[in-house]
Amino acid sequence: MKFISSEKIPALLEQFSRKARVWAPLRPEDSADTLLFMPWAPAATLDLKRFTTISPKKLVLPESEALFSFSYSMGEDGERVEIGDAPAADEPGEGATLLFGARACDARSLTVLDALFGLEPGEAYNDPQYKARRARLTVVTLACTTCDAACFCSSWAEGTASTEGSDLILYPVEGGYLARGITGKGEDLLELDIWEESEQPLPELAVTDKVPIGNLDAKLLEIFSDMDFWERATDRCISCGYCTYTCPTCYCFNIFDEMRGQRDGERCRSWDACTFYLYTLETSGHNPRPGIAHRYRNRIGHKFSYYPRNQGKTLCTGCGRCIRGCPVGLDIRDVLRGAGER
Amino acid sequence: MADLVTTIKQTLKDVEFVLGWVRDPATGVAAPARFYSEEEAEAAIFDSTCVHNLSVHLPRLKDRRVGIVAKGCDARSVVELVIELEAERENLKVIGVGCGAILDVKRIWRRSGFGAEIDDTGDSLRIAGEQVARDDFLSRKCSGCLDADPDIYDVFVGDAPGGDTAGAIAPGGEDPHPLREMFDALSPAERRDFWREQFSRCIRCYACRDVCPMCFCRDICIMQTQVPHWAGGEVNAKESEMIQLIRVNHLAGRCTGCGECERACPVGIPLMLLLDEQNSAIEAMFSYRAGDSLTARPPMQTFSIEQDLWGDGE
Repeated sequence: MKFISSEKIPALLEQFSRKARVWAPLRPEDSADTLLFMPWAPAATLDLKRFTTISPKKLVLPESEALFSFSYSMGEDGERVEIGDAPAADEPGEGATLLFGARACDARSLTVLDALFGLEPGEAYNDPQYKARRARLTVVTLACTTCDAACFCSSWAEGTASTEGSDLILYPVEGGYLARGITGKGEDLLELDIWEESEQPLPELAVTDKVPIGNLDAKLLEIFSDMDFWERATDRCISCGYCTYTCPTCYCFNIFDEMRGQRDGERCRSWDACTFYLYTLETSGHNPRPGIAHRYRNRIGHKFSYYPRNQGKTLCTGCGRCIRGCPVGLDIRDVLRGAGER
Repeated sequence: MADLVTTIKQTLKDVEFVLGWVRDPATGVAAPARFYSEEEAEAAIFDSTCVHNLSVHLPRLKDRRVGIVAKGCDARSVVELVIELEAERENLKVIGVGCGAILDVKRIWRRSGFGAEIDDTGDSLRIAGEQVARDDFLSRKCSGCLDADPDIYDVFVGDAPGGDTAGAIAPGGEDPHPLREMFDALSPAERRDFWREQFSRCIRCYACRDVCPMCFCRDICIMQTQVPHWAGGEVNAKESEMIQLIRVNHLAGRCTGCGECERACPVGIPLMLLLDEQNSAIEAMFSYRAGDSLTARPPMQTFSIEQDLWGDGE
């Protein structure tokens, strides 16, 4: 099996970076406690031990992007609106991107999003921006031989052993990493002459906490109106966007116009969160989800009931980011277990 | 913590529920909770992992009779909320707790892994079995704590106010942010670059705003409304910097320095560098520290036509 020693990882990334923009788990300068997927450069501080606070979903669904530009003008026959392409800087074709150091949960989250955004042309939700970015993305996954108290990917059958969404998987072993190609893209990366051969066996992977999610899709519909449950389950929630914005599978977005002066502008989309009051506020002033409990209920229902029913996949991969960072310590597993027992 | 449990049970005779903490079974540290019954109150705890400022919930509970367990710093926020009519003093039962400084659980876990066992019950702190210097893992706000004991309370739990629960704390407001020295040495142009770099990481999750007890506009915050459209919707350093400066300015004379915004930030933006600076300026200019007194008027909420704003006698 192909092998690379730990010391050669920067050299490997340097080789990757000749063909693609490389994103890796890095520590920002002046913030040693934070770990984020950021564009890799030789001077960057790589950390392959801890988990990033934010998922890599922005590589396929950026925090914000222009969809097209528009321009108003006054012609002989009245006002005209011209529609232009997305501005060059925001075009999806930024070139090849390589995500290095994703975990199995991160890689799998891409296939969960594909179920909605990657539909064939002509189907309901054809999203060219998403598709272009997705096609240009290569995922090099770091297998988990350890996990922490927030991880719960083993709730799904394959858990840490899942290969879904990965092109190449690196397995931590003594002195370095074994490499296993999953797709053609991944096999291509193994052609580089930086790899060595190793007889080491694949390591044993971590097994995380497990949440029974089997019959939640029906159960959540059943307890939809059980506001006593939802109020109590979410009574510490402060309705911020931490959980949804760090989540690898939350994809909700807002669409709005940004004017550049009086006549020109761009139609943009940006991340949005169902936990925000404004998310469902209607023009009339009515808000169908007025309370924090209503909004958190939607987050859970969407992930574990509506999306699975519509797209065939749970909109969660058990990465645990929402648990690790929630400012008020709300643990989605408690809500799911509580719902299951209701 | 029988004393706390008993006090909450007694308080429940008078209120709908009490805001406090329970021990989270998955991690062993404190998590916010509401106690509606004596049975639920049995699970109440107070220890050095009770970092959350529970007063953030009060504006949403304004018309209800509730109890709240408050550390000294949390009580400052309660004071400020009462002054600004976002909490009704008569509707509130404040259970003050003597605080011996709070651990920076987030930092501990980022170092040792989420959920690593924290044992702060003995003479020294142990993280995942390893003995470490407790002072190295205290919340930053605690090193300059001025109020280990709450200033307002209806009942006090623990040692008497002013007792030795505060012994671990070096009081006096000398609270250098870890980046302060570096930051102060920067030129104005370098400071701009520094903040651009910091805010380039912002994802606009608004955790800073929503965890802040004083950001009570949260649901209709002008950073998010389309009308008025004061902040652009794009996510970039320029917008995030402007949004945060608006937030910080709106907290002038209102921020009690509880540090929740910086704690909540998923991308590690040192927001307290900005707020510390402003709080010091407010104190120097107006001799006012938010949360000191129920009868004080915040400087940005008073205006007198006779006031000599420019100090030139005109």
